[in-house]
Amino acid sequence: MALLQRINAAARDKVFSLQEAFVLAWNAFRFIFARPFYGQDVIQQMDAIGVQSLGIVVLTGFFTGMVLALQSAVQMQRFGATAYVGSLVTASMIRELGPVLAGLMVAGRVGSGIAAQIGSMRVTEQIDALNVMGTDPIKKLVTPRLIAALLMLPALTVINDVAGIFGGNVIAKYYLQLPTSLYWATVWDQISTGGFVLHFIPNDFVHGLVKPFVFGGIISLTACHFGLRTTGGTEGVGVATTRTVVTASILILVTDYFITQALLALLPA
Amino acid sequence: MMGADDPNDTTVKEPDNAQAAAAGASDEERRATDRRGDDRAADVVHPERVRAAIRKEITADRDADDDPRNTDAQPVIELRDVSLAFDRPILTGVSFEVYPGETVAIVGESGTGKSTIVKLILRLLVADSGEVRVLGNDIEKLTYEQALEIRQHMGMVFQGSALFDSLTVFENIAYPLREHTKLDEDAIEERVREKLRIVDLDPDQVMELAPSELSGGMQKRVGVARGLAANPKIMLYDEPTSGLDPLTTGTITNLILKLQRDLNVTSVVVTHDIRSAFRMATRIALLHDQRIVFFGSPEDMTASDDPYIQTFLGGY
Ligand SMILES: Nc1ncnc2c1ncn2[C@@H]1O[C@H](COP(=O)(O)OP(=O)(O)OP(=O)(O)O)[C@@H](O)[C@H]1O
Ligand SMILES: [Mg+2]
Repeated sequence: MALLQRINAAARDKVFSLQEAFVLAWNAFRFIFARPFYGQDVIQQMDAIGVQSLGIVVLTGFFTGMVLALQSAVQMQRFGATAYVGSLVTASMIRELGPVLAGLMVAGRVGSGIAAQIGSMRVTEQIDALNVMGTDPIKKLVTPRLIAALLMLPALTVINDVAGIFGGNVIAKYYLQLPTSLYWATVWDQISTGGFVLHFIPNDFVHGLVKPFVFGGIISLTACHFGLRTTGGTEGVGVATTRTVVTASILILVTDYFITQALLALLPA
Repeated sequence: MMGADDPNDTTVKEPDNAQAAAAGASDEERRATDRRGDDRAADVVHPERVRAAIRKEITADRDADDDPRNTDAQPVIELRDVSLAFDRPILTGVSFEVYPGETVAIVGESGTGKSTIVKLILRLLVADSGEVRVLGNDIEKLTYEQALEIRQHMGMVFQGSALFDSLTVFENIAYPLREHTKLDEDAIEERVREKLRIVDLDPDQVMELAPSELSGGMQKRVGVARGLAANPKIMLYDEPTSGLDPLTTGTITNLILKLQRDLNVTSVVVTHDIRSAFRMATRIALLHDQRIVFFGSPEDMTASDDPYIQTFLGGY
């Protein structure tokens, strides 16, 4: 009986939490067009989310590109197809690894930061103070982070892609002794054979930019949701950050699958 | 629409050392009084003497018939039969009202729900049953936007200061001004300096500091300055003097008195410091066991024969 009650309570809590998350998402989006608009906070968040993530994004992108090239080189050597290593790196980076890696890195670095900051504002009553002084915390804290993440994740992803393709270039040149011009020719070849939207936007780019846009929303809203729900002092802040990173990472991987499937159906090559 | 979010607003239980600090402060003060050279033996708490001392305290500051309350008017704040439970019942059938120009002190043991009452008044929490009325509005029926609007008439001093740690002291105090007024930069700076001076802080020294660079007592005072910044007609203080030295405690107590007398500000003060409660309150509400067990003037409180009130006062 007690067990059933506990399960019941836990389930109800989950449902409430989910409902709250959707209300939060709805309001955060709605307030993008509402007054007052906290532009200063948006700029500040773009710096915190975008500019300050540049380092890790370039680094992870570069090494992922290198390892992709290395692994595929080993396989392709057997078929004598090493000339196509650029094509393979590009396809993997732009469509999948670029967005997902950037998403996961930002979820870890920025998501946890947002959750910790908003969570400690919650437990030290700063969220209450905002409310008391007539500020809607969602307008002031959530919407600027959402806008910043929606704008910065695609930008970070492009940088991640480019770093990865350069990483592949390094391996192609020094490990496979492929001429750089040939490498870049296969890169472009891959992009142009993927098909185009409206005759000039490569399908690869659509895949590569829709995903990080969605991931940006997932990361910022998950972090704000768990941050605002923080209870139980500093320990609660730790719980909120952990939950944010786990939940956002899972959501990124799951939605990635569904977006890919939808885009493949919508944009056949 | 957003109202749905509000009940989930959670209050975090204050760490116990806040209490310890509060107790420490009133200890300090008691010692300071003793040092003033009257013949009371410091270690014997004699109820009659305590009462006499308190009575002296009250009469030192005001005449009994100089009642600043305007009881003909509608109450500014009114709680009617309010009940609230978290995992256990906290408040049961709490009712009291605050008239314009009145200062009501809420006293009671730690963890009895004093901060909860203040949060109910601000609709940071919503009652399970009963009604909370502010300026004639049943605040539970207001939309989220209307609640924000009502709150602009109120200033709040949080128990834990709740300063924004991403902003400087100056920006913290300027925050309510920037949100609600059209003052220009010069006027804002002037106002911030004025508020810092009345809480005994040197504007030039602290204005550009981050809250984390201040001592606990200084943070508290900045919290008071921020609450006062927009010159609200209703002030809510949650333990404004806990953790402060006796001198600053006196300053803050005098400040609350002065606001009431000169500007007719209506105040609700949660406090552990019964001495300043007696000095500044027109009426005192004593919270015990989920209920308000006493609500009346300081004079009536000292005259009461109720054993709990006696022990409560005797403890100070
Ligand atoms: N969000 C919450 N969830 C669960 N219980 C809570 C919550 N907020 C407060 N409580 C409980 O409500 C009771 C009253 O808390 P409140 O902060 O109002 O006490 P208080 O009278 O202000 O005490 P103090 O003098 O120590 O500040 C406490 O026992 C606390 O444990
Ligand atoms: Mg309290």
